[in-house]
Amino acid sequence: MSLRSIASGLRSLFRKEQITQELDEELNGFLEMAAEEKIKEGMSHKEALRTVRLERGTLEITKEAVRSATWESFAETCWQDIRFGLRTLRKSPAFTAVALLTLALGIGANTAIFTLIHAVMLKALPVPNPSQLYRLGDNNNCCVMVGTQNDGSFVLYSYSLYEYLHDHTPEFAELAAFKSSLADLSVRRPGDSTAEPYKGEFVSGNYFNLFAIRASVGRLLAPRDDSSNAPRVAVMSYRTWQQRFLLDPSVVGSTMNVDGVSYTITGVAPPRFYGDTLRSDPPDFWLPLSAEPEKWLLHNVDVEWLYVLGRLKPGFAPEPVQAQLTVELQQWLSSHREVIPQRDWKDIPRQHIRLTPGARGVEQMQTDYALGLRLLVTLSALLLLIACANIANLLLARGSANRSQTAVRLALGAPRSRLIRQMLTESVLLALAGGAAGLYLAYAGTHAVLRLAFRGAHYIPIDARPSAPVLGFAIGLSLATGIVFGIAPAWMASLSDPIDALRGAGRSTGDRSSVVQKSLIIVQVAFSIVLLIGAGLVTQSLRNLEDQNFGFVTDGRLMVSIINPGLAGYTEDQLGALYQRLEEVLPQIPGVLNASLSTYSPLEGSNWNERVYIDGKPPDYSGTAPSWLRVGPHYFETIGTRLLQGRTIDERDTPAAQHVAVVNETFARKFFPNENAIGQHFGMEDVGHSGDYKIVGIVEDAKYQDTRGPAYATFFLPLLQAPPGEQLRGWAAAIQLHVAGKPENLEPAVRKAIAEIDPNLAVLKVLSFGEQVARNFNQERLIARLTDLFGVLALILACVGLYGVTAYAVARRTNEIGVRMALGADRRNVLGLVLRAALAQLGLGLAIGIPAALAGGRVLVNQLYGVKSYDPMIIGFAAAVLAACAVLAASVPARRATRVDPIVALRYE
Amino acid sequence: MADKPSDLVQGTLDMLILKTLALEPMHGYGIAVRIEQMSKGVFRVNAGSLFMAFQRLQRDGLIRSEWKATENSRRAKYYALTEQGRKRLNSETREWGRQVAAIARILEAS
Repeated sequence: MSLRSIASGLRSLFRKEQITQELDEELNGFLEMAAEEKIKEGMSHKEALRTVRLERGTLEITKEAVRSATWESFAETCWQDIRFGLRTLRKSPAFTAVALLTLALGIGANTAIFTLIHAVMLKALPVPNPSQLYRLGDNNNCCVMVGTQNDGSFVLYSYSLYEYLHDHTPEFAELAAFKSSLADLSVRRPGDSTAEPYKGEFVSGNYFNLFAIRASVGRLLAPRDDSSNAPRVAVMSYRTWQQRFLLDPSVVGSTMNVDGVSYTITGVAPPRFYGDTLRSDPPDFWLPLSAEPEKWLLHNVDVEWLYVLGRLKPGFAPEPVQAQLTVELQQWLSSHREVIPQRDWKDIPRQHIRLTPGARGVEQMQTDYALGLRLLVTLSALLLLIACANIANLLLARGSANRSQTAVRLALGAPRSRLIRQMLTESVLLALAGGAAGLYLAYAGTHAVLRLAFRGAHYIPIDARPSAPVLGFAIGLSLATGIVFGIAPAWMASLSDPIDALRGAGRSTGDRSSVVQKSLIIVQVAFSIVLLIGAGLVTQSLRNLEDQNFGFVTDGRLMVSIINPGLAGYTEDQLGALYQRLEEVLPQIPGVLNASLSTYSPLEGSNWNERVYIDGKPPDYSGTAPSWLRVGPHYFETIGTRLLQGRTIDERDTPAAQHVAVVNETFARKFFPNENAIGQHFGMEDVGHSGDYKIVGIVEDAKYQDTRGPAYATFFLPLLQAPPGEQLRGWAAAIQLHVAGKPENLEPAVRKAIAEIDPNLAVLKVLSFGEQVARNFNQERLIARLTDLFGVLALILACVGLYGVTAYAVARRTNEIGVRMALGADRRNVLGLVLRAALAQLGLGLAIGIPAALAGGRVLVNQLYGVKSYDPMIIGFAAAVLAACAVLAASVPARRATRVDPIVALRYE
Repeated sequence: MADKPSDLVQGTLDMLILKTLALEPMHGYGIAVRIEQMSKGVFRVNAGSLFMAFQRLQRDGLIRSEWKATENSRRAKYYALTEQGRKRLNSETREWGRQVAAIARILEAS
């Protein structure tokens, strides 16, 4: 379309009156001139005009043809359609409300899930050219390892190996390393009375060069900062600077006390940068690797603890680099055989490095949530299909109801294409409005979903606001819904024969569209029962998980994590006094019944395991090494783990006393299958230590790490009993309190008491056992709640659909029902007549849906805990709920049918 | 040719209008009559097609219009060729000649 055409089109839009008038005058002139010729030939005036019309077409049609040939007239008819559509939608508010709500729910649910998928699975790190980033490794094994790695695929690297790869792989523009887990930091600004807990990440000096980002303020870490004799420096995250330091510019260049060491803050990272891994509570500080306080990590060639991420130089393909890295790994391993435990030597030839795309950094969350998100996508797609079926049904019903109107229009000469276009405009309008409402729902929904998914997180680096791709997704989805589900009803309505419709509207008892409508209801019922059964299964599974016997009590218990005393400046010989002080002070807090200390609390994410050597038995390397922790007096009483035999650890177990251990049932059964464990001896490190600890008690199994599997074999040692001449490994950083009343209420008193003992002992978290346990099921809960929600929505939509179709059928069969009643049918007959049809649809839907749910349940079975995929109770309950709701939905119009007055119904014609 | 006037070959009306206007400015009816006369009654111009063509040509800037009095002192809209329209007429005439010659060759070949 040329510019001139647009201009003249616009002109004619604004001067419509004048243009029309001119055209009228011109055409009239044309007609008159032609008629004059004829009159000259001897015709009468009237005859002449008639002949001209016959020869050259009528004036009106010509005018219409000329006018509709322009683009602006197309735009105008579209505008007319839109206005007409809005008017008709306004005229039937019930229909519009139901349709909008249905669409908003369907599109909203899908958009919320897409927002999550986009943010979690698709979005790259907020750094330049993220596609150049590659990670050395293909899984997320954590955190410290020795020897060869799982399936031969290297993921964790020692510092020495990292340096070797860094120096020998010039294809990387940068190759950076960082500790695989975040550190809890205790940070105190000069002048503050207490230390505050923060998250920190130890990274190599070239970490920020790798990401090619620049500081918001000051400077980021540089390679020169990462050496043992460089001044200690740290970089702060923008969010921390903003929220905790209120963008105070004096922070940059100031010094802070981090874990008892003085650091200078050199700069602040860019605003959206959250580090190398998308996770809740990302690092507040980045510190150089050389500052890592556990020096043994950095300097021990055998300890593997770093993740490595690199940026390939432009023009280098990853495959050859991957092959070269494996060669380098093999070279390093063969020259460092002495640091690999002998039992791993046979696996050395299998060791290799997989280079995986690193645009999204370390894909921790992506891996954790992949399955759950896939499930949610399926569920929300099902919900959308149900919603679409509802919309199609509503439109079909309306199309049929408007049949006489459509027929009149067709009879008056409206082209079919124009009618379809008008009806499509209406459904697209509906869909777009529904989409807009859905987008709003999605925004609110994404917030709720994030809160559910990351319960307990202070900050999640995921934006719930709809981004451009999300907006595009929602609009595209709305348009597709509007067109796909508007076109069939529009087509069907336009097919109506004007004669039929005008002759006797509403007389027929069956037609094409009612078959389609019934099939749609059957599909809806089938999808709904699948969703409901799915919801039942995952909900029951979650309940089983939460209500299981953990081996400790979750009510009235509080767990407190403090910073490792080593990081707060304590030495080994000061520990005894600190523990004693804590054990004295904590029980005196009003409301505390009992207090104990340990290296870690159950289900808080920590698990240490180590091989043991049983006195008098050959070393056994099979299976997983048992878990262990150090606990103080009253530990088992405080957390509520029952003692089965012997005694627990108490005040007698000082460093000078005989070294003892308590074991759990699984430990006793595993290592002493046919004998009494009490009185036996064992030790760690090697066979020479097998006499170190004497077993004095057996406690019931309790779950510390894995909530689904059985408890691990576990042994408990006193807080201070280290083997003679050795350093004490395992310092207490966990406190358990048995309290009266609501555990959360005690938090201020507990924080105050600890700060009074030592302000450097930063309190990392205070949580009730119940809350700590609940956070282990975040993903399960997210899926269960959303499945429940989707199930209920599906139920509502299916019932609305069934109600609509039944009501519509009753309305159309009013005459028929009137006749039947006049001929002697009673109310029961009529009720049965209507309900039978609804029940048939329900039954068919269930017959299709239940087997489908059984098949789907098999996919779920690995995710379920304590529930079979074919739980008859759940299937029965879901079917009963659906049936009850469906009967209720159908009985409203059915009851209306029984109230039909035969006289009125017959006279109506 | 049949006795009854036939419709125009698709797409030639624009060219014929331009040709008619190349002689002198003319009103709608005059153009229709001129085309019919020049074709010796072979073509019959329908009012709808004619006025749609006027609108199209005017929007493309090939013709312009103004209201004038006719010889019978009636008000009518007169169309005239623009410079651009003259160029278009020349190029279309050439193209048409080429095509007709080509078609004639094909038809005569057998």
